[in-house]
Amino acid sequence: VTGTQIRVRVADEQYALPVEHVLEIAELGDIAAVPGARETALGVRNVRGRLLPVFDLAPLLSLSRESPPSRLLIAEAGPHTAGFAVDEVCDVGLLDGKSQEAEHGLLAGSVLVEDGLVGLIDVPRLFAELEREGP
Amino acid sequence: MSAADAEFLGIFRDEANERLDSIVATLLAVERGGAGADAVDGLFRDAHTIKGAAGMLELDAVHALAHAVEDVLAAARDAGSLPTRLVPPLLAAADALRAQIERDEPVPAGLRAELDAAKASFAAGVVETVAEPAPEPAPVLVSVAAAEDRSIRVPAPKLDRLIELVGETVVHRQRLAHATAGIDAAERDALAGELDLGDRLLEALQEAALDTRTLPLQTLAGPLARAVRDAATAAGTDVELVVNGGEIELDRVVLEGLSDPLVHVLRNAVAHGIEPRAERLAAGKPSQGQIVVAAEQRGALVAVTVADDGRGVSRKVLAAVAPGSSLVDVLTRAGFSTNGGVSGLAGRGVGLDAVKASVEALRGELEIESAPGAGTVVTLLLPTTLALLDVLLVERGPHVFGLPLPSVQEAVAVTKTLMLTGTTAIELRGEPVPLADLADLVGGDAPPPPSSSPALVVSASGRRVAAVCDRLLGEEQVVVKDLGPLLRTTAGYLGAAILGNGRIALLLDPAALVRARRRDAARTSRAAPQTVTVPKLLVVEDSFTVRELQRSILEAAGYRVETARNGRDALERLKGDRSFSLVVTDVEMPELDGIELTRAIRAEPDLSSLPVIVVTTRGSEEDRARGFDAGADAYMTKQSYDQQALLGSVARLVAA
Repeated sequence: VTGTQIRVRVADEQYALPVEHVLEIAELGDIAAVPGARETALGVRNVRGRLLPVFDLAPLLSLSRESPPSRLLIAEAGPHTAGFAVDEVCDVGLLDGKSQEAEHGLLAGSVLVEDGLVGLIDVPRLFAELEREGP
Repeated sequence: MSAADAEFLGIFRDEANERLDSIVATLLAVERGGAGADAVDGLFRDAHTIKGAAGMLELDAVHALAHAVEDVLAAARDAGSLPTRLVPPLLAAADALRAQIERDEPVPAGLRAELDAAKASFAAGVVETVAEPAPEPAPVLVSVAAAEDRSIRVPAPKLDRLIELVGETVVHRQRLAHATAGIDAAERDALAGELDLGDRLLEALQEAALDTRTLPLQTLAGPLARAVRDAATAAGTDVELVVNGGEIELDRVVLEGLSDPLVHVLRNAVAHGIEPRAERLAAGKPSQGQIVVAAEQRGALVAVTVADDGRGVSRKVLAAVAPGSSLVDVLTRAGFSTNGGVSGLAGRGVGLDAVKASVEALRGELEIESAPGAGTVVTLLLPTTLALLDVLLVERGPHVFGLPLPSVQEAVAVTKTLMLTGTTAIELRGEPVPLADLADLVGGDAPPPPSSSPALVVSASGRRVAAVCDRLLGEEQVVVKDLGPLLRTTAGYLGAAILGNGRIALLLDPAALVRARRRDAARTSRAAPQTVTVPKLLVVEDSFTVRELQRSILEAAGYRVETARNGRDALERLKGDRSFSLVVTDVEMPELDGIELTRAIRAEPDLSSLPVIVVTTRGSEEDRARGFDAGADAYMTKQSYDQQALLGSVARLVAA
């Protein structure tokens, strides 16, 4: 896998996002829920005077969660910027290993590392999915 | 087209529109006999300028038409006057020029010949009585010293950015107030003078910044006078238009959006409100009908009223207004019904649906009052500026909501409720107002409100709902921020705002709240709170009339409708927004036709399963086959155009 990746924990699994799509890592902070929004939307957060929509990565990746997320990854692709709630940011660095095919539609592939399998999140596709989904 | 070309084109468009406004105003003055001696010179100059600029930009069609107009005016100048019979073809030419410039529409057939004939009539020495210029001509174009008239063209986004920043500064000032509230009293006193000065400066800055974005209502007076004149000529009635409060300033965006609905309301008033002369005299009214357009400030809103002294709506229509609904409801609903039972409306509501939609798109509201025999008053309530909003903040469960202040009639303590068929209401000065939990109205979760909770009486579109919340937090001026494309699918919000204390308030759309109450009441028992998703349809049609007709039919059936003017426009929309449930398309269109569009949709992996209905004037088997071959799901012809068939197909395909 080429390029620096940010490795995060979502529920009990590990995923990685290319560093060029990640703007910032922050505390989850205060999120205002938006009633009527779809289930994966946690709401909106105030990031230095800007409104940021925040989504939970767990249901987007078809995972169920036992405990609430605590960290926020602010990512961008094309015209979109959004926050994604994760449980933990593990490390930033290169991922050694060859990318294998992954079944989930939001993954570009997966990599086998020492402590398990890491899913490679396709950030542009993630945004395309969010834009397409109904409320 | 290069960016520079696009910029020049934009500038040309602005200028040409100003010149055309002046041409139309002068022509109308000529027709009334009130034009000054230099009117023809002014007209000639305007036409000449448009011709020259169009030539430079290689807009050949515009150039040629402006040239023809210029020729007529040159002949008129040489002859020393412009006969009134030449006003109609020149007005038509001005319209055609505008349509060409704005929408690249072709010049109507026969117009050139009419202009050529007009020019030739001078040479042939056609004799006619010419309306003498009024003895003391009112100058049409006021010439102002050049220094005072100096203006700079600035792209609108730059001004928007300026206003946005001023808005942010206003919110920052509130944050400062929060921050200084905690400090020592002596220090605060020392700061007080400086803060006051800051406030005054900020207020002046805000006013000056907003001033760059606003224009007086008077700017619309020309097109409005024109609309009334045309409609009155067509109806053979005599109507006077009076504009009051033309000096009131409106946001340019609002003003631009206001033009079409206002013209529509005026045409309606002339065509269906003002009676023929004999009927007016028999009713004891002056033979000339009167329409008064007035604007007045109402809090943060501007109310633009169109009052006619015509026949008003019939008693039968008034009787159809059910308690809790309004005349707007009846007229916007009945206007498009083909049901013979309401034909007595005589088209009074035709197009009102579109008017209502345009006004609501500007975050405004439509109100109608009418007295049989005495006339109709249509009120368009519009926000003066879109960037800043005065809201009342309330708390309900974990949420902070903001409601536009003008929509909140009052806050009441709920002490006694009335029940009827499972729905709750409160009594407010002798009238029942439906009561609902604010959390339920927006589809949110919240613990039950405390027993003595306040309720806000919210009014929109002529209906009211009392929304129960936990407590009122107070008023605040906020900057409206869009929820963004990723959350935009959520209905019912004007946006959100970041408050002085850093919290986020969701700004509620009053119109959506009163609608939510009706939906809620329509369900006999309340199921698990879930938001109702209304399918969104895309109507692709190059004819404005057909497009608006289809829109109104589909909207009346409860769908959300967006429109596109040709296949290319449609394809871009569909690629940018994946929330459409169905496409209704015409076949014959510029750029990309309906068959090609259908094919393109089928070829796009993400769109390939989107249902497409093809509607066309062609009815041949071959065309039908071509449509289905391209992948259309249904095919209907305009000749056999039948609302029920269209709605049936839409319902079937959306549900599939």
